[in-house]
Amino acid sequence: MTEIVQSAAPSVDNLRRWSLVRRRSVKRQNNLVGYFFISPWLIIFLLFTLAPMVISLGLAFTNYDILSDDYEYVGTANFERMREDIRYERSVKATFKYVSWVVPLRLSFALAIAMLLNTKRRGVYFYRAAFYAPSIVGGSVAVAVMWRQIFGNAGIVNAFLEILGLDTYRWLGDPTRAIWTLIILAVWQFGSPMLIFLAGLKQIPSELYEVASIDGANGFQKFRYVTLPLLTPIIFFNLIMQSIHAFRQFTQAFIVSGGTGRPLDTTLLYSLYLYQRAFVNFKMGYAAAMAWVMLLVIALLTLISFWLSRYWVFYETKES
Amino acid sequence: MTQSIQSLRFNKQIKDTRNSLIYHLAVALIAVVMLYPILWMFASSLKARDEIWTNVNSLVPEEVHLENYENGWQGFGGITFLTFYKNSFIYAGLGTLFQVSTSAFIAYGFSRVQFRGRGMWFSIMLLTLMLPTQVLIIPQYIIFSKLDWINTFYPLLIPRLGGEVFFIFMIVQFIRGIPIDLDEAAAIDGCSKVGIFFRIILPQLKPAIITAAIFSFYWTWDDFLAPLVYLTDPNLYTVSVALRAFSDPSGMTDWGAIFAMLSLSLVPVFIVFIVFQRYLTEGISTTGLKG
Amino acid sequence: MRRKFSVGLVFLLTVVMLGSAVPGFAQDNELRVTWWGSQARHDRTIEVIEMYEAETGIDISYEFAGFGDYWTRLNTQAAGDELACVIQQDYRYISEWQSRDLLMPLDQFVEEGVIDVSSIDQSVLDSGSVDDELYALSLGSNSQTIIIDVDAFEEAGVELPAADWTWADFEAIALQIHEETGIWAIGPTLPEIALWQSLYLGYGKNVYNEDGTGLGYDDDQPLIDYFSMIIRLQDEGAVPTQEEAAEFIDAGPEGTPIVTGRAAMDYRWSNQVIAVAEAAGEDRNFILWTLPRPVEGNSQNFIKPSMFFSITADCDNPEEAARFINFFVNDLEANEVLLAERGVPISTVVAEHLLPLLSPIDANTFEFLAMVAEDPAPLMPPDPPGAADLRDNVYTPLFVEPVLFKLISVEEGAQMLRDEAAFVLGENE
Repeated sequence: MTEIVQSAAPSVDNLRRWSLVRRRSVKRQNNLVGYFFISPWLIIFLLFTLAPMVISLGLAFTNYDILSDDYEYVGTANFERMREDIRYERSVKATFKYVSWVVPLRLSFALAIAMLLNTKRRGVYFYRAAFYAPSIVGGSVAVAVMWRQIFGNAGIVNAFLEILGLDTYRWLGDPTRAIWTLIILAVWQFGSPMLIFLAGLKQIPSELYEVASIDGANGFQKFRYVTLPLLTPIIFFNLIMQSIHAFRQFTQAFIVSGGTGRPLDTTLLYSLYLYQRAFVNFKMGYAAAMAWVMLLVIALLTLISFWLSRYWVFYETKES
Repeated sequence: MTQSIQSLRFNKQIKDTRNSLIYHLAVALIAVVMLYPILWMFASSLKARDEIWTNVNSLVPEEVHLENYENGWQGFGGITFLTFYKNSFIYAGLGTLFQVSTSAFIAYGFSRVQFRGRGMWFSIMLLTLMLPTQVLIIPQYIIFSKLDWINTFYPLLIPRLGGEVFFIFMIVQFIRGIPIDLDEAAAIDGCSKVGIFFRIILPQLKPAIITAAIFSFYWTWDDFLAPLVYLTDPNLYTVSVALRAFSDPSGMTDWGAIFAMLSLSLVPVFIVFIVFQRYLTEGISTTGLKG
Repeated sequence: MRRKFSVGLVFLLTVVMLGSAVPGFAQDNELRVTWWGSQARHDRTIEVIEMYEAETGIDISYEFAGFGDYWTRLNTQAAGDELACVIQQDYRYISEWQSRDLLMPLDQFVEEGVIDVSSIDQSVLDSGSVDDELYALSLGSNSQTIIIDVDAFEEAGVELPAADWTWADFEAIALQIHEETGIWAIGPTLPEIALWQSLYLGYGKNVYNEDGTGLGYDDDQPLIDYFSMIIRLQDEGAVPTQEEAAEFIDAGPEGTPIVTGRAAMDYRWSNQVIAVAEAAGEDRNFILWTLPRPVEGNSQNFIKPSMFFSITADCDNPEEAARFINFFVNDLEANEVLLAERGVPISTVVAEHLLPLLSPIDANTFEFLAMVAEDPAPLMPPDPPGAADLRDNVYTPLFVEPVLFKLISVEEGAQMLRDEAAFVLGENE
């Protein structure tokens, strides 16, 4: 029986610590092997990603606009402008509201449905395709049309609410509700985390459940003591990735509000505002500054998550 | 005695059937809600131009207009969707192949090999994911245009040889779920790291790699920003770029044709999903896993 | 080891940045053209390009996209020095692009007769000019219009207004229509920025001052009166409220209230009327009408050129490009294919030639523009750089929406607009 060992957490800190501790004992050959394996990523990163990233950081301190070649160094003016920018403040509010609802809702739906579909019952192929279907509608112009119909005053959502005896709303025009059309769209498209959960569930050896059954565990106990601990690396992965994804969400917000963030900027997600500044108003310097503020915020949140993960994420790997 | 056992069995059967019924009822109900947008889109692709707007909520067209598909397929000025599909298949097919194969390889390096700078590179890799692409487009475009790669598939495909951070991180997490005893046993048997990767780890990663392949194909198929910027010759347009060129907010738009081509564009993604998900059914073999 | 890496990094970057920069060779008989639009425009434009290729032996490569994608791509190309020779240009961006030296003046080609402007009105040429130099040639003319559903007016027992009707007349008619029929008088477009601009034209003012550094008017009262009227109409239910409006904005011609029978009027640019009429079907009875004007004010209707062709500054082959534009604007056969899809042709000869070929609603558009031409407001100069910024980041989100959601008063809104405009446009000083 494989032991479930609580390893040191996978945080970036720890990765570094391991390598520090082991430095003396690790042979030079391992360095070569390591770099050999990551070389595809490293080469492409150095060639095509590093320079653009550095350039964008530099631009954050200029008034560069994308149409002209010349620009001036403006110091921290772009960052200071953010503090006075009313739309910037609105976009930060909208983004945090969006992320804080989308991530937990999307993940719990995805996990619940993945467990429901992790079965050998007949028809499960069909259900999986059906649940994945909304996730492949994507960023086409037709989604905007569809969405307006679904959330319109006479749309299917209000009809459904009426059947349930609940209040109906003007989803698209009401500043307090409009963000919900985006949240529901994101939650609806839970196909990708669902599939990852499904793959994670598949990786759990079935013997573990058999042993648990012999020990007299009921369904909930199996979930609590077998499924959940073994799935934590995947839950952790989904949490990090879905958060980053939600912070960066652009296409849906762009399509649903026609790029404007209406009403009253309540659907003006951060990336949407950034895009508008860079490509519609040509303020690339300001947009670059916005981008790096966002990077710092996400990086900080990710770091905290990695640090916290040592308390709840379990790895099979015995690292000592 | 025998009778009561039989009735017990009978009861169990009833219970199973009842559970099964509840299961299917519940799941099917959710499935209908989930499928509504697709069905709506498909129904709209069969409706007459004005019916799309007058008979909005109905999923059944009053009259089936298959000519929407014919009109849409014509594309623009003699360039039909055949061309766009060919381009999309090149992009999505090769893109997926490149991205997924290298991602697993890279992930193994990050998760199972100790080397100097591992933590740093992994952090940097995650950081690249956090910067909005909108500010990278311009510098990247300048690099690729200096390389004279505009209107070729290189700017779309070559970067994919470096894997995709999402998949690398995902596969790292999956590898960490695989007991290291196996590696160690193989290492004692004289297996090299490369050998361990191909013989021990890769077979265990099947669910993860299939998942990555499904995503990669769909994301590439749906991607429009990179093809929009780098493939400007209409003979190189992908399906997603062509679909967006159909409509103009102020102009006349043949929505029937758009919905028809949109419905059609979902077919390859569906096929890939259905073909690949079959391999998701079996859990991985645990033989030899017991340490 | 580490040092080797950084050396390698620098080497690789150098390879990328310099190593393979191969200059492209543009040949004399090659030309790149790009535009935005929907399928109908793509088809017609490509057909004209192929006609031109057959006639001249020039090899034209072309690119097209929807409106939003078009600008993303074009701006990226501008940054990478990869612009096409002939680009479709929008009125609002001409001075923005000109101020960054991205466009080539066309005057030389006009003087040499490569571009024939003999049948084009001077005001059209002015509209594409910055600092008295021609940078863009319009492909069609437009004006703002109120589309009237004649049958709905009849049902409400409302007479068609006079051509010089005022906003006071408009409000009375709107209320009467709503009272009699229960539908909206007009769709949700009254707060649009173009109406703010033309409102001040009715008082003989431009909203931007001459240098483009601030607002061109001192009196906020007309704006306050206009938005107060919108709020009164919204309160009465005669026009959609801000919450109701969201369903229709960007909904395309098919979803507009006048098409679905939920409103008796609609405000549009005249080149969009064809799409609206087509979406509504043949049994509807629409006519184009002039904009209302201020009480005792001037006409608010000006003839606005839509969609331009410009030649980019780095074009290797500008004369060939100019020749192509001339073909596009003046050739009769080419325009039989284009069929006024970009607005009423600027060449009076071409416009007359097309008249018998037009559908009734197309013909109505031509007539409407002739009607506007009888009593036009002067054309506004092109928007100053920063106008798009003002529109996206100030006018709608900081003025229109807070005012119509009643978070601030109209007066406060007008003050906000003035302050923020001074800030945004102040960068032009």
